Amino acid sequence: MQSSSQSKKDSLSSLWQTLFGHPVRAFGVVSLLLLLFLAIAPAKNHFSEWRHYQKQYLALIRSRGDAVTLERRFHDHDGIQQIWLPQLGVVDRCTSCHAGLKEAGLADVSSQPFRKHPVIPHTLDQYGCVMCHRGQGPATTVEEAHRSTLAWEQPILPARYVQSSCGQCHRAPLTGTPQLNLGRNLLGRYGCVHCHTIKLPDGSAIKPTDDPPSLEHVADKTTREWIYAWLKDPQAYAVTATMPNFKLSDPDARDVSAFLTASSTPLAGDTAPVPQDQKAPDPTAGASLYGESFCASCHAVQNAAGNVVGGDVGPELTRVGTKVKPEWLRAWLRNPRVYDSGTAMPHYRLSDPQLSLLTAFLGNKTDSDLLANVHLDAATPEQIAHGKLLVTEYGCASCHAINGIKKPDNFAPELTRVGSKPLTQIVFLPGMTHAIPDYIAAKIRQPRSFGSALKMPQFSLAPAQIDALTTALLSLTDRAHDLPLALTVPAKPASNYQPAGKAGTLMSDLACFSCHAINGRGGDMAPDLTWEGSSVQRPWLLAFLKNPGTLRPALIRRMPRFNLSDDDAKELTDYIMTAYQTPAFDRDSMPSGGYPPAQVEQGKQLFYSKYACQGCHIVDTKVDKGYVGPTLTQVGSRLNAAWVYHWLKEPQTMRAGTIEPNRNMTDEDARALTAFLMTQKGSSKQEAKK
Amino acid sequence: MSDSKSDPKDFIAGMDSNARRSPTRVVFVTRRTSAQVKVADEDQVQTYPELLFRAVVAIEVLAIALVGMALLFNAPLEGIADPSHTPNPAKAPWYFLGLQEMLHYFPPVVAGVLVPGLVVMALIVIPYFNINIEAEGLFLKDRKRRVPIFYAAVAALCVFLLSFDVYVALGPTLIVAAFMLLAVQSSPHSTSAFRRGLAAKPLSFWIMTWFLFELTVLTAVGTFFRGPGWSWVLPWRS
Amino acid sequence: MAKTITNYFEELRGTRVWRSVFRSGTGSSPLHRALAVQQNVFLHLFSTKVRTRMLSFSTTWYLGTLTLGTFLILVGTGIPLMFYYHPSVPQAYADTKDLQFVVSSGLFLRNLHRWSAHAMVFLVFAHMFKVFYRGAYRPPREFNWVIGVILLLITLLLSYTGYLLPWDQLAFWAITVGSNIASAVPVMGNKVHFLMLGGNVVNANALLRFYVLHCMILPLVAILFVAIHFWRIRKDGGLYAHQSEPKTVAAQSVPAVTKGVPVQ
Repeated sequence: MQSSSQSKKDSLSSLWQTLFGHPVRAFGVVSLLLLLFLAIAPAKNHFSEWRHYQKQYLALIRSRGDAVTLERRFHDHDGIQQIWLPQLGVVDRCTSCHAGLKEAGLADVSSQPFRKHPVIPHTLDQYGCVMCHRGQGPATTVEEAHRSTLAWEQPILPARYVQSSCGQCHRAPLTGTPQLNLGRNLLGRYGCVHCHTIKLPDGSAIKPTDDPPSLEHVADKTTREWIYAWLKDPQAYAVTATMPNFKLSDPDARDVSAFLTASSTPLAGDTAPVPQDQKAPDPTAGASLYGESFCASCHAVQNAAGNVVGGDVGPELTRVGTKVKPEWLRAWLRNPRVYDSGTAMPHYRLSDPQLSLLTAFLGNKTDSDLLANVHLDAATPEQIAHGKLLVTEYGCASCHAINGIKKPDNFAPELTRVGSKPLTQIVFLPGMTHAIPDYIAAKIRQPRSFGSALKMPQFSLAPAQIDALTTALLSLTDRAHDLPLALTVPAKPASNYQPAGKAGTLMSDLACFSCHAINGRGGDMAPDLTWEGSSVQRPWLLAFLKNPGTLRPALIRRMPRFNLSDDDAKELTDYIMTAYQTPAFDRDSMPSGGYPPAQVEQGKQLFYSKYACQGCHIVDTKVDKGYVGPTLTQVGSRLNAAWVYHWLKEPQTMRAGTIEPNRNMTDEDARALTAFLMTQKGSSKQEAKK
Repeated sequence: MSDSKSDPKDFIAGMDSNARRSPTRVVFVTRRTSAQVKVADEDQVQTYPELLFRAVVAIEVLAIALVGMALLFNAPLEGIADPSHTPNPAKAPWYFLGLQEMLHYFPPVVAGVLVPGLVVMALIVIPYFNINIEAEGLFLKDRKRRVPIFYAAVAALCVFLLSFDVYVALGPTLIVAAFMLLAVQSSPHSTSAFRRGLAAKPLSFWIMTWFLFELTVLTAVGTFFRGPGWSWVLPWRS
Repeated sequence: MAKTITNYFEELRGTRVWRSVFRSGTGSSPLHRALAVQQNVFLHLFSTKVRTRMLSFSTTWYLGTLTLGTFLILVGTGIPLMFYYHPSVPQAYADTKDLQFVVSSGLFLRNLHRWSAHAMVFLVFAHMFKVFYRGAYRPPREFNWVIGVILLLITLLLSYTGYLLPWDQLAFWAITVGSNIASAVPVMGNKVHFLMLGGNVVNANALLRFYVLHCMILPLVAILFVAIHFWRIRKDGGLYAHQSEPKTVAAQSVPAVTKGVPVQ
């Protein structure tokens, strides 16, 4: 045993002696070893991941019918591939492994990295990969290219947020990016930008669109109990409410409601007593007045099934009777501009009986449960002072005008470049993926999960809305700001168009811009009126303003009747007819009637046979079934002939984005069709009979 | 001392780098380190191949180690330089982290200019002071004067460090001072070789050891134990 | 086999070409070996003979040799790295990425350069302390010690200037922190800082400046001082031999000579 170990030791030592006994021999042995080690480096290089994937790709395409073409195309660009776009700062080597991205023939391959790229409006060679997908373009290893590393924080963007990348360059909404468009919309609609400034690359800032009510006279409008219940849970009052939940404790909600009530000042007119006239108003008459006034175009109501039905311009009215005081409601309905000069609500010229009807109808929309458990004692000065402190702390004045409190500037962190926020500046929750999208989504989903002392309130958002908001925020990257402006597609600049004179005041009073857009300003619920003066005939417009009829029977939302006086209607008509004219043609260049019957007949033939307009429009109510476009039974008395002619020739020039197809009509065809259409002067009475 | 007296058998006259013509050199000889001018007694070997091959083998072994390291560990690389995003903490290269650690305690003029300047100066002048060359045991001579000075110096240093809250540097100081205290108590004739050695250590040894100790501790602290805001962190908890 | 290799080598040494290159010629006599060192422009920095005990590992730990080794590796890896590198912003960073991902063995070169640089700084410090504790700074080697201190500073500067070149966050902020120390110099601190960076902040000017220093000036200065350092070892009588003298020699020691007496 001992001898064997001894001999082993001996042989070892003799081996050592052979190898290292002499410096020269040691030099030889160590040199060989060093060369061996040095040879590992090129070997490592040879067995790199991208080579491995290229071999796999070759094996894949060789088994296919079009192997020869594919292989030749592949060998035309052997080795590491890159898309280099210096202007965009793009060095993308993704195609080294993703070799089949451009091969239409590989459409059936579903395994990465050889999947074909779906068709998009841009080409790979123009924009590279990282612009949209993030990740590290220059990398040639799977780990470095896709994951977040010290050298490259931004990992591959999860596919469900990929639309955010479009938003880096495209400021205007795109049809292909509904999620991004929705997210951008929500940023304004949920008032995120009241507290968080978001500057756009052109220097402007995203503006809020939620129009939070002023609380300067809130005590006229509602009770302290309702404010308390609202603060505790806004969505309990209205499921569609955008007001977030600040998770106030009971005493805090009590104190805030005490302060808001105490700081409110009364407004003349709001407190006018409801005339105790006659008998109780007829509830059905109230309901039909609500319907005739098309209140539902803007206001929603939750029906018995729990579905919210109606527009989202104004607040939901399901439980409005529990909220507002009747005298305030009546004053509001009489003229909303007294209480809130900037409201989107039109000034309906309602008569006193109508006011009573509507007030009573809305006043009955109550929910006894809402305030059942709210019992507030009279507020003490300490409570009011504490309430003021809370209102300041939570930045209520960022959104609402409140007496005695200034609107704070930059109340919350600016989000201008939040999509590229360095990960080192972020505190992640335990167990959370260290990536920006996860952080943003978690922050929107549950802001207070990052610390109970945080002020950001809990918003009531559906998962799709959270994804949309995350997408919109992710588009706010450094790249979006640093790209040369020439490479971005800017949004249309916001218009602050305001018509002048008496008509302008009238249009503000009627809140035309809540539904109609003119010269780039206004809503999209109703037709754009920018060139309305060129398109319609004066008598029709005057009559329409006095009593709006139905242009499109398929629509639920319609222009309500404002009970305009003759003077007001005439003023408005004159203004529209003069101010809103297109420079493209002369309105009076074509007569509105008196076309030769042969031409009319030819037009009729064209209408029914060559262009088959009856597919979308109705001329003869007995036979035509088209409900896509407006009914044309009275088009001859409604529209201007020159407008019809030009509209037929090139509809998209007259109104961008209209679905009316451009049929490339000859002048003769268009003239004949115009002649035919101008004979359609059927009166509304006739139509009503039918 | 030179090669002039080496064994003439190993040397063929005529091609010699004549030591006789090289300048006269001065050696300070102390009582302890007797003058070993009898280099002739020493074995000598040819530089080539004995030394050169050994040196090359040593370098190759190091190269193998470094190549292995380069194959296994990637050099750090972070995101592109961005003046607008300061990492926290922003650290200098590791060999300056001792300095950076000191900057945390002292004003920049002291930690950034005075201390490194003095260190470099001290290093340069080491061989020009007789006390360093004699290299006698610090407490062997003139004990009556030197021991109180030693106590005073250590106390002053500790007070200085405490007044700037430099607790990190206090540990090495106290440990070195403890060994020096032991050296005070040791005689060159002690039976323990360790204590004999301690007694023989000169002043420069103690200062250099203290410097090495502090350098190591401060660099290690700056490298491994400092996190955001230059606060204490544990390297294994990140 | 080793024998045959030796034979071949001897044959090679006998050829005309070899002898035209190496003047020492064939033969393995002490003379030839001495000539091999003495007649070589690089090796003549060394003495032709060394004390046997200086060869043992414990004497020097070969720290000086190893430092030279790291320097050679750094030159060897640094030159190919220069082929791929542009000292401009932000190309420098892109080049570093290319080295990592595209250049054949580029990542290996950079790794080796980086780790060798750290090793060199460490070895220079270790060498200095080893020399100190051996007492090898004593006359007549005092000036070689000073050169050693200068080489330490050059090594630190080399490493520091190289630190900026990848132009990543680590580099940028390390240099920012380090260069801010220079601002603390009394009176002319800001001027020194400005001179160092070619501006008031670390930017493209600083990068170019550091690049020139790192790849050109500092290596040349380092080579010069390394040469002097080695040459001085020979001129100062070989490696210092005093403190670790073998017991046998110490036992024969003659009675101490009065100190301060010059000895030839």
